[in-house]
Parts: sequence; C-alpha cells; structure tokens
Amino acid sequence: MTEAFIPWLLTGIPFLGVLVSLALWSDPYRVKTSTIIWSIISLASIVGMANRLPTPPDGLLPLYVLPLAAVVSALGQPVHENHRFPWTMTLVFLGLGIGVLTAGHPFDPLCLISLMLIIMLLLYRHHSTLWPISWWGIGSLGVGVVGAGLSLAAGPPISSVASLAACAVLLPLMPFHDGYLTALTRLPGSLPSFIVLLLPVLGLHELATVMPTTPNEFVAVVSLLALVSSLYGAIKALAQSRVRLLLGYGSVSFFSILWWFVAGAHAATPRAAVLAGAVGLATGGLLVAWQVIRTRYGDDVDPQAISGLAAAMPKYAVLFSLLGLAAMGLPPFGVFAGFMGLLLTAPPSSTIGLFIALAAWLAASWYIMQMVQQLLFGTRRAELRYADLRYPEFASLLIVVLALLALGLAPTSLYASNQDPNKTPARERPLVWNR
Amino acid sequence: MLLSLALIVPALLLTAAGIVMIGGETPRFIRAKAAAFPIGLAFLGAIGALTLVPSEGPITVRFYDRASVASFIIPIGFYVDRLSTVMMTLITGVSTIIYCYSTSYMHQDRHARRYLALICLTDFVLICMVSSGNLMMLFLFWQILSYLLYLLAHNHAHPATLAGAFKTFTLLRVADTAFLAGIVLAYQLYGTLEFQELFARAAAMPMTISIVPEMDVDAATAVTLLLFIGAMGKSAQFPLHLWLPGSLFAPTPVHALLHAGIINAGGFLINRLAPLFGMSSTTLHVAFVVGTLTAALGATMMLAQNDIKKTLGFSTIGQMGYMIMECGLGAFSLAVFHLIAHGLFKATVFLNCGNVIHKTRQEPHFPHTDHEDGETGFSRLTWTTGFVTTLFIPLLILLVTHGVLRIPLLESQGTVIILFFIWITSSQAILTLTRLRAVASWKVSAIMLLTLLFIVFVYLFAVESFTAFLYPNPEEVASYFKAADLPDWLFDLIVVMAALMTIFGWSYLYMRAHGRTVWMPAWIEGLRSRLYTVFLNRIYADELYRLIGSMTAQLVHRIDKLERGWSR
Repeated sequence: MTEAFIPWLLTGIPFLGVLVSLALWSDPYRVKTSTIIWSIISLASIVGMANRLPTPPDGLLPLYVLPLAAVVSALGQPVHENHRFPWTMTLVFLGLGIGVLTAGHPFDPLCLISLMLIIMLLLYRHHSTLWPISWWGIGSLGVGVVGAGLSLAAGPPISSVASLAACAVLLPLMPFHDGYLTALTRLPGSLPSFIVLLLPVLGLHELATVMPTTPNEFVAVVSLLALVSSLYGAIKALAQSRVRLLLGYGSVSFFSILWWFVAGAHAATPRAAVLAGAVGLATGGLLVAWQVIRTRYGDDVDPQAISGLAAAMPKYAVLFSLLGLAAMGLPPFGVFAGFMGLLLTAPPSSTIGLFIALAAWLAASWYIMQMVQQLLFGTRRAELRYADLRYPEFASLLIVVLALLALGLAPTSLYASNQDPNKTPARERPLVWNR
Repeated sequence: MLLSLALIVPALLLTAAGIVMIGGETPRFIRAKAAAFPIGLAFLGAIGALTLVPSEGPITVRFYDRASVASFIIPIGFYVDRLSTVMMTLITGVSTIIYCYSTSYMHQDRHARRYLALICLTDFVLICMVSSGNLMMLFLFWQILSYLLYLLAHNHAHPATLAGAFKTFTLLRVADTAFLAGIVLAYQLYGTLEFQELFARAAAMPMTISIVPEMDVDAATAVTLLLFIGAMGKSAQFPLHLWLPGSLFAPTPVHALLHAGIINAGGFLINRLAPLFGMSSTTLHVAFVVGTLTAALGATMMLAQNDIKKTLGFSTIGQMGYMIMECGLGAFSLAVFHLIAHGLFKATVFLNCGNVIHKTRQEPHFPHTDHEDGETGFSRLTWTTGFVTTLFIPLLILLVTHGVLRIPLLESQGTVIILFFIWITSSQAILTLTRLRAVASWKVSAIMLLTLLFIVFVYLFAVESFTAFLYPNPEEVASYFKAADLPDWLFDLIVVMAALMTIFGWSYLYMRAHGRTVWMPAWIEGLRSRLYTVFLNRIYADELYRLIGSMTAQLVHRIDKLERGWSR
C-alpha cells in the first residue's frame, strides 16, 4: 500500500512547490529560492525512497538527474520578475517528469501527454522576432501527443509504432526532432536548460518499455534513421553560428547515436541512461553558460562578436571549457563514460554503423571546440564589459561539472546492477566474428 | 616498494601541479620554485622503480573490479614493467630540467602560473599513460593529453597560434577516433582490454572479420591498424604530421617537452602492444612504409626550412618517422632507445634555441659566415678519411653485430635494413663534416674517426644491452623481427637502393669538391629547384589541409541550405 503511494508523493512534491511559489509570486527572489528548495527536497525524497521503487529497465539514474537539472537551471538564471514563470514551470515539468518515470501505466502516458501539451501551449505563446513561431516544432510535439495517446488506446503493433513516434519526439530523432529543437530555442528563461534533459530522459524511459516488443522490421528502420540522424545532427551543428542551435543539433546527433545503440541491443540499458543523462546535463550546462553571456551582452548577442573571455573571466572560462570537454565526449566525464559503455557492451551489429557513430562523435570535437575557442580565446574587446561569474551562476555550472564527473567515474553497479559482469559480447557472440 | 613508487611518482607530479595552482598570486614565484622539488623527487622515484623492476618483476595495481561494487566505468589501474619504468624515468628526468628552466624562462610572463601548472599536469598525464593498467585507461590519458597539448600550444591572443592549436586538436582527435575504434574492436573480439589477457586471447583465438561482404581481414591486423593510426597522430606521421609545425608558436620549453615526451607516445603505444603488433605482418609493413615516408619527407623538408623552430620541428618528424620505421621492422626496443636518445637530444637543442634566436636578434651577423673564405680549398686527407670511414664503418658494424654481439644477421632482415640506414645516415653526417674541407689536419681526421668509432661501439652495445633489458626473452625479439620480414624482392631492392644512394652521393660530392663538372640532364636541374620550392613550402600540405577544411565547410553549408534549416 505504501509502495503504491510513493510515486504520487514524489510527483506531488514539485507541485507543492508550485503552490508555494505562487504564494510568493510578488517576490522574484523568493520564487527562485522556493524553486531551488523544492527541487532539492524532491531530489532528497527520491534518494530516500529509491530503494522502494520498482527499478525500470533504464535504471533509476533519470530520476536522480531530473531534480538536479531543475536546480541547475533555476540557479543559473538571474533574479528578475520575468523569470518567475519559467521557474514555476520548471517545477511543473519536474512533477510531470517524475510522474512519467514513476507512476506506471496508464498514468505515465497521461503525464507525458500533459507535458507535451503544456510545451505546445508555451511554444505557441512564447516567440520573438529573433525566434519566430515554429509550427513545425509545435506540429512535431503534436505527433508526440498523438503517438502517446494511440499507444494508450490501440493494440499492438500500432501501439508500438505510435510509442516509437512519441519516443522519437522526446528523445530527438530525425525527422521528429523539430519539437525538441523548438523547445530548446523558444521556451522562455531557464526552461530550455531543463527541457534539454527532461525530454530525452523521458523518451529513453518510454523507449526502454517499447523497444523489446517492437517488431524487427521497425527496429531496422529505426537503426538506419538513427545513423542518418546522427550524421544530420553533426552536419547541421557544424553549419550553425547561433549557440542554441549548435547545441541543439549537436545533442540531436548524440541522441541519435543513442538510438542506434538501443536499436542494436533491442533494449535501453542503464548505460544508455548514463549517456542520455550526461548529454542532457552537458547541453543544459552549456545553455546555462550561454545564458550567462546573454545576461551580460543581450539576448540577441552574436557569438562572433565576443572573444577573450578566458583572460577576463577565468572562472567562467574554466567551467565553460570543462563543460565543452564533457559535451564533446572527452574523459573523464559522463558523456565519454556512457558512450564507451555502450560501445563496449553493444553487440557488433554493423561496422559501418560503428564508424558513422564514431564520425558523429568526432564531429563534436570540431563544432564544440570551435564555439569554446571563439568565446574564450582571441583578443579582448575594448567595447565589452567583462564580469566574471556571480555566486549562483558559479554554483550552477560547478554542480553540472561535478555531476558529469560523477557520471563518468561512478561505479558501474549503480547503473547495471542486474547485468552479469563476467559476460562479454565476445563470449556471447563469437560466431559473429569467427569464420 | 615498487608498488609504492608506482603510486608515488604520479602523486608527486599532481602535488607539484597543486602547489603551483592553489593559493594567491603573491608568493607565486616561491611556489613555482617549490614545485620543482616534487618533480625532482618523482624523477628519483622513477629511477628507483627502474632499478627495482628487474628484480621484483612487473606489478599490477587495479582500482577496479568488475564483480565488485567499487567497479568503475573508467577502469583506473597501473601496470608497471620495464618499459613503463624506462618511460617514467625519461619523462620525469626531462620534465625536471624543463620545469626548472621554465620557472626562469617564463618568470615575467603574466600566464606563467597557468603554464607551469599545465606542464605539471601534462607530466602527470604522461606518467599515468605510460603506466596504464589497461588499454582503456591508456586511451583515457591519451585523449587528455591531446587536450593538454592544445592548451599548451596556444597563446590566447595570437590568431596564428590559436589556428595552430585548433589544428593540433582536430588532427589528434582524428587519430584518437581510430584508436577508439581499435579499442572497441579489440574488446568486441577478445572481450578484454587488460594487456596480458588481450595478448593471450589474441594469440589463442586467431580470427578474421568481414568489414564489407567478400572482404575478410585478419582480426589482429584490423585492430592493430586502427591502433596504429592512433599512434600516427601523436607521433606526427605523414599525413597526420601537420599539427606539429602548426604548434611551433608555443613557448620553447613546451617544445622541449613535446619533442622529448609527448610525441614519443606513438612509439610507446606500439611497444606496449608489441605482442599484438607482432601478430600482424601487414600492420608492421604499413608502419614501415609510413615511417620511411615520414622520415624521408621530414628530413627533406627540414633541409629546406629557414626558421630554426621549423627546422627542428621537421627534424623531429623525420626522427619519429625513423622510429616508426624501426617498429615496422620489428625492432621495437631499438625504437624505444631511439626515442630516448632523440628526446634528450631534442630537448637540449630546443632549450638552447631560444638563446640562439635571442643572440641573432642582437647580433645581425650571427651566425658568423666569415669562415667561408677558407673553405674553397680541397683536402685530400679529409676526404680520404671520410671515404674510408664510410666504407669502414659498415663493415665494422657488420663484424661487431655478427661476431661479437651474435646477432644472426642472415635471419634478420630488419637488422640488415637498419644497418643500411645507419650507413646512409652516418655517411650523411660525414658528408656534412666535409664542409671543413680546407682543414687538412691529421688531428681532425683522427678525431673524426675516433668519435665515430666511439659512437658506433657505444651505440651498438647500448642498443643490445637495452634490448636485453626491455625484452629479456631473445625469442620474443626474434619473433618480432620474423613477423616484420619483407618480401625478398623488396628487401633486396631496399638494400641495393641504400648502397647505391650512399655511393652515388659520395661520388657526386667528391667530384664537385674536386672541382670537376658533373653533367646532369637539364630536367634534373629544373626538378631540383622545383622540388626545393615544394619542400620549402612543406609540400603544400597546409594549403591542402585548408582547402579540405574550406571544402568541407562549403559542403556543410550547402547541405544546411538545402535542408529547411532552423537558422533561417
């Protein structure tokens, strides 16, 4: 009886935070503090009750990183009355996200549908001259809503395909990635840096349920789409000059690699969750770091017009470059660990696929390093007023870096407790390679 | 004791980095000086490990266990054997000198603290890399090294340096990706990344893999070829050598460290995985071709450069080519010996080249050219000495190797080829000495002969002793040579070409020095000047790199425009 109550308790805590925030609405500082405190309470309750929750196929990691990302995104945003709404919405999304991860069938699709509908509504309302309304993005999320609805109503195999479509919207896979990109670029305030983790993690969670029952024909198509999508994301990222788009396409590339691994293994393992969580956190961290620049130099600042931050803003430079390293998949951070974990444990399905995945991984070194180098190095500009990180910004970025480091170095057993450590792909499938 | 030393040496280097980094700005020079002590202690520790390892044998420290709760995704562990301790001693020794030099050299630089901390961190990463307990950890530090090199090679506010650093990073990442593919393939094939287990399983389970239908490749060849591309990147092998000249804007001590330590990573990797490389003749042959090509191109480009740092940079590329060529011939221990000798030599030269540049700026007539007037004469004595030496030395080497050191030359193609290359290079050295052709002195001739004899004997005995130290089992050494055996026709061709080149070079220069006109077809004369321009411009490889970069960028933007982009 108590066990059944726990998911509702965990889901309810952030909503309680929403109510408190609404009560403190007149004071932006207290709204921000409330968001952070309730996210921390949420994290603490998850940690405390995790052992009483059923372990999903993708492990419990997504549940831990969601409140952490909420804390980071709220902390990195400066206090302003315009930010009250994004902070409160962060708690709403956190509650719905926890609901998807813990509530179980049929409540999790309902939470998912609510979440996507809210995002659609926000995207309809929030746009600017710089980022005009995107019907493609809203439509893509609509596909996700329909997919999630059909998965609830229809029987197999339609439900499997519909679920896959919903997953492709959440864990972005071309051609369903527009919703994710629109959310990342158009949502107000601190929401993009939270959404960038929330949607993929929920998508992976759904995928972990759907993938084992998906017919092989669909899996083959997904596998092919994933490879094309990983290259597509990398190429598009290489072509971008706007930071949010670059990060968006870059993460699409990484998530597509994840799709390829999941399709190859017919399952989403805890290692896949490490990669999804780490890519989401790293991208979220970079978005927070970009937010720092926007706070100082304006929303529509051109990254080409900024340089020389390394000498003038050393704290920012160190954390930003560490986040860059993590995002491009360098050790000892979580993206590398997740990527390596999947590479080493995935069945040897296709050599060409492996090389495409590696090419997409390599491309990240190019576009992310270019961005980092552009902002941090070069000559100092006389027209820019340099101001290093304030304490909340510093804390926010530091938490992301430490979390990524922890994901890179944390014990394997945390994510793969049910896996036989002595099993290796070579021993399982020697005939694939032997002739 | 060895176990403690294996852990203390990297810890000391990390401590040194901490001493430099942590704390305020005020006593920074004192802290910079203080950090030299842990580095020096690390050097002593490495020497201690080097002396202990023959008696205690190799040790393995694992901070991971797949079956336990404490297992790490990144398996941190150390494997300290003879090769590791040799590399640790070289790295810490060179680092001690470079660090002490740097504290004064960078004293007035605003970023000296960052620079010194990076030097200490690079040393730490290098030590961890050479004592890695498994291939994964080696790769981990290999990649961190790529990034540290990027940081060390650039100056924030200098656009050319930034471009060079970016090129360094991207090219190294290309090689790193191949390395990663090799690791993944090795794990998927053999199910382990632990060195000894990997070698044992690869030897016990010969396999072939199908990369594309109808194309089977030996598994060991596939793995080692990919790993070799990784080694090519770090060791600046053609065509991945471009990053090295691009990084030459870095402070001089960085080059000393780079050319004495970091660039040796390729040679180390091949030696660490020698049993695996020894299973694939194809990879060894590829290494031989790549190494020879790099040695020839590097040395030729070096001759055409007019900048001291670029000259030294291309000299390093040539030497690294030579080292990889030795690996390709199965002479793994010789490659390590070579990289140590080259490292010490090049570090010294680089640390001194700043003084030369400084002096040249102060004295417009430096280096002095007034001795040219006395060189027009021809000294029969000097030339005879050189000629005899050139003929005598190879015979002596053959005699010593075959008679005294008992190396079976007839059964070892690799040794013969190396000896012929020694003949070519020593002849080249003697030809360089003949610039002193006006000096007809018995003293000069005697010193020349004695020096060469001394070098030859020391070199031969040192190499042989070093081989016995690094690979105590002679059968293992012989097996590597055997694996690297070339087809007979190629072996004969190389030997004949080497002999012809040496004899032709001597004859041509002798006749020129004797005042005789050597007839050359006009097209050869034209080709010479054209080739000079090509090599002066470093075979236009930088332009090609830029062209590929801009073409890729154009293609990417074209694809971006074709697709309905969010950026519009």
